[in-house]
Amino acid sequence: MLEAINLTKSYNGTVALHPLTLTVRPGEIFCLLGANGAGKTTTINLFLNFVEPSGGVARIDGIVASERPLETKRLLAYIPEQVTLYRHLSGLENLEYFSVLGGQSRYSEAELLGFLDHVGLDAAAARRRVGSYSKGMRQKVGIAIAIAKKAKALLLDEPTSGLDPKASNEFSTLLGLLSDQGVAVLMATHDLFRAKESGHRLGIMKQGRLVSTVAANEIGHADLEQLYLQHMRD
Amino acid sequence: MIGAIVRKEIREIARDGRFRVAAITVLVLLVAALAVGWRAAASAHAERDAAANLARSHWVNQPAKNPHSAAHYGVYAFKPKTPLSFVDDGVDPYTGVLAYLEAHVQNDFTHRPAADGTALSRFGALTAAGVLQVLVPLLIVVLAAGTIAGEREQGTLRQLLSVGVRSRDLAIGKMLGLGGALMLLLIPATIIGVAALLVGTDGSGSGSRFLLLAAVYLGYFIVWIALSFAVSAWAPSTRAALICLLGLWMVNSLLAPRAATDLVRRLHPTPTALEFQRVMAAEQQADSTGRTYAQYQEAFQREVLSRYRVDSVADLPVNFAGLSLDASERWSDAVFDRNYGRLWATYVRQDQARSLFGFAFPFVAVRALSQGLAGTDFYHHREFATAAEQYRRHLVRVMNDDLAEHGKTAGFQYMGDHALWSSVEPFEYQTPEVGFVMAHHGRDLAALGGWLVLGLGLALVGARRVRV
Repeated sequence: MLEAINLTKSYNGTVALHPLTLTVRPGEIFCLLGANGAGKTTTINLFLNFVEPSGGVARIDGIVASERPLETKRLLAYIPEQVTLYRHLSGLENLEYFSVLGGQSRYSEAELLGFLDHVGLDAAAARRRVGSYSKGMRQKVGIAIAIAKKAKALLLDEPTSGLDPKASNEFSTLLGLLSDQGVAVLMATHDLFRAKESGHRLGIMKQGRLVSTVAANEIGHADLEQLYLQHMRD
Repeated sequence: MIGAIVRKEIREIARDGRFRVAAITVLVLLVAALAVGWRAAASAHAERDAAANLARSHWVNQPAKNPHSAAHYGVYAFKPKTPLSFVDDGVDPYTGVLAYLEAHVQNDFTHRPAADGTALSRFGALTAAGVLQVLVPLLIVVLAAGTIAGEREQGTLRQLLSVGVRSRDLAIGKMLGLGGALMLLLIPATIIGVAALLVGTDGSGSGSRFLLLAAVYLGYFIVWIALSFAVSAWAPSTRAALICLLGLWMVNSLLAPRAATDLVRRLHPTPTALEFQRVMAAEQQADSTGRTYAQYQEAFQREVLSRYRVDSVADLPVNFAGLSLDASERWSDAVFDRNYGRLWATYVRQDQARSLFGFAFPFVAVRALSQGLAGTDFYHHREFATAAEQYRRHLVRVMNDDLAEHGKTAGFQYMGDHALWSSVEPFEYQTPEVGFVMAHHGRDLAALGGWLVLGLGLALVGARRVRV
């Protein structure tokens, strides 16, 4: 579903992403770990076509993102570190707006409330203006947008950063539900614990390179931390 | 998709407290300006009607007197308030509303409303046109500066672009949304404007002018919305967009009109009133060929004697004084035509030069179109002044012809009466059709159209450049 084939990006001669080849299959959660500046966000931005690749291709469902960005974006949902919504609109109105823009215009209010309820926002909260929401509530709206959009792939950039453990755990559960529905998930995160808990495969990035890939069920928490720190020291 | 963007923009803007405060302020000012303008127009209309009726009554009820004396007694022509002058009073406050029409003289208009103003008038009067031309664009600028730059700063642009919205749809939706939010205040103002047109003023025949006026202002607001969107798309921050747009607004609305006025005055200077009168007085003595007035009258007398095949004035079957007075009118009319013609031509050249500024500053074009459609521009004033002068000449000619025809024996002792005074129909003036406005403001219309194309083009180019 998500494919990077020799995908590279340079800014004024500085390489932000060395040739990256990576595949995230439907239903798989792939977590990209790494320090700031490791190339995680650049990878996500390339899939979103927010930046043009310097080489290689990023494909979503076989379509090259840089060639047909509008089509690929219709297949994607994106949740950044801070899900930014329109503060003068309610959660429900934000969901309706992004759903329509994402190509889903036939949802009734009851269906939209259902999506929000599914991610843990009740009707009263859904009708409140987003200006009064906590970060966790906004992230939930972000997930609801992804669900309502019926996205085939989900790109997450530090989505649990700043969330309390309970909210973070709820978020992981929702990710699991999306994965069960066949959504391919690529998540950039610093959170080794959450990556190990949620992900199927884990990739460690350093200075624009994917230096290691492991299956989440083949490595323990301590070993993952050890492996990560070892790469960061090298 | 565009519909969803429009609905969201209107909803979001309407819920923004800053918009509510600004919009209510502008709406209150607009309604107040319309009300004040309407009241002033309705009251002036009634006063002028009453004064015109009184002046007519004085004319037809004057006692028996020599017709030429009656021509000197004269009449007054009252410039009517056009129905849309309550929206834009244009040059009316400065051109005068009353012309005294008498024999031998083409008098200037008197009773300039601006002359009645107090010292506070120097701060400018509140007019609906002022609000529409200056304050509404300012509101647009404040609202639209963050339309893209603000989304980029807040991070919503990333979310927006990630869902696959087309840049063209985003631009159109955002601009329509801004326009829709503006309509929340403009629609009530328009309804009040229509009501004001229908009540208290003779608005008949003004429908097309009103519609065109509304279209001109709508076009002007679209220009500002499109420019604001383009700047917001290009600017790195809302602050930068706001500074840039406020600069544009200030130059366009405050500096350019004054600079344009001063420049065209320098390019095509008009004589002072004193100089104008001095030249006319000199030309009354002798024409451009050096022929004096006395020589003109001598030649006229020879021509009359020849025409009637007689040797002396005493043998004429008509009163020669009546013919001579008529000839005198034609001599002075030629002087007036030359001098006022030159003056009007200078004003036209000034206006044509002024209209070029409209291509650089849309305010200049819109102001001219607004005054034209309201019937308060220079061209409408010239049209009325010309009609009044034609009436003056007609009235004086009727008096002189009567004297010539019936005053053979009594001479200047001949008396005209009520029947003669009544034979001169009252002065009536019809404001020109809307085609008159288009004929004189084609360049302003082209300038506004050019700005529309440029603004929308820049907005669409800006939309393609929208990046997170």
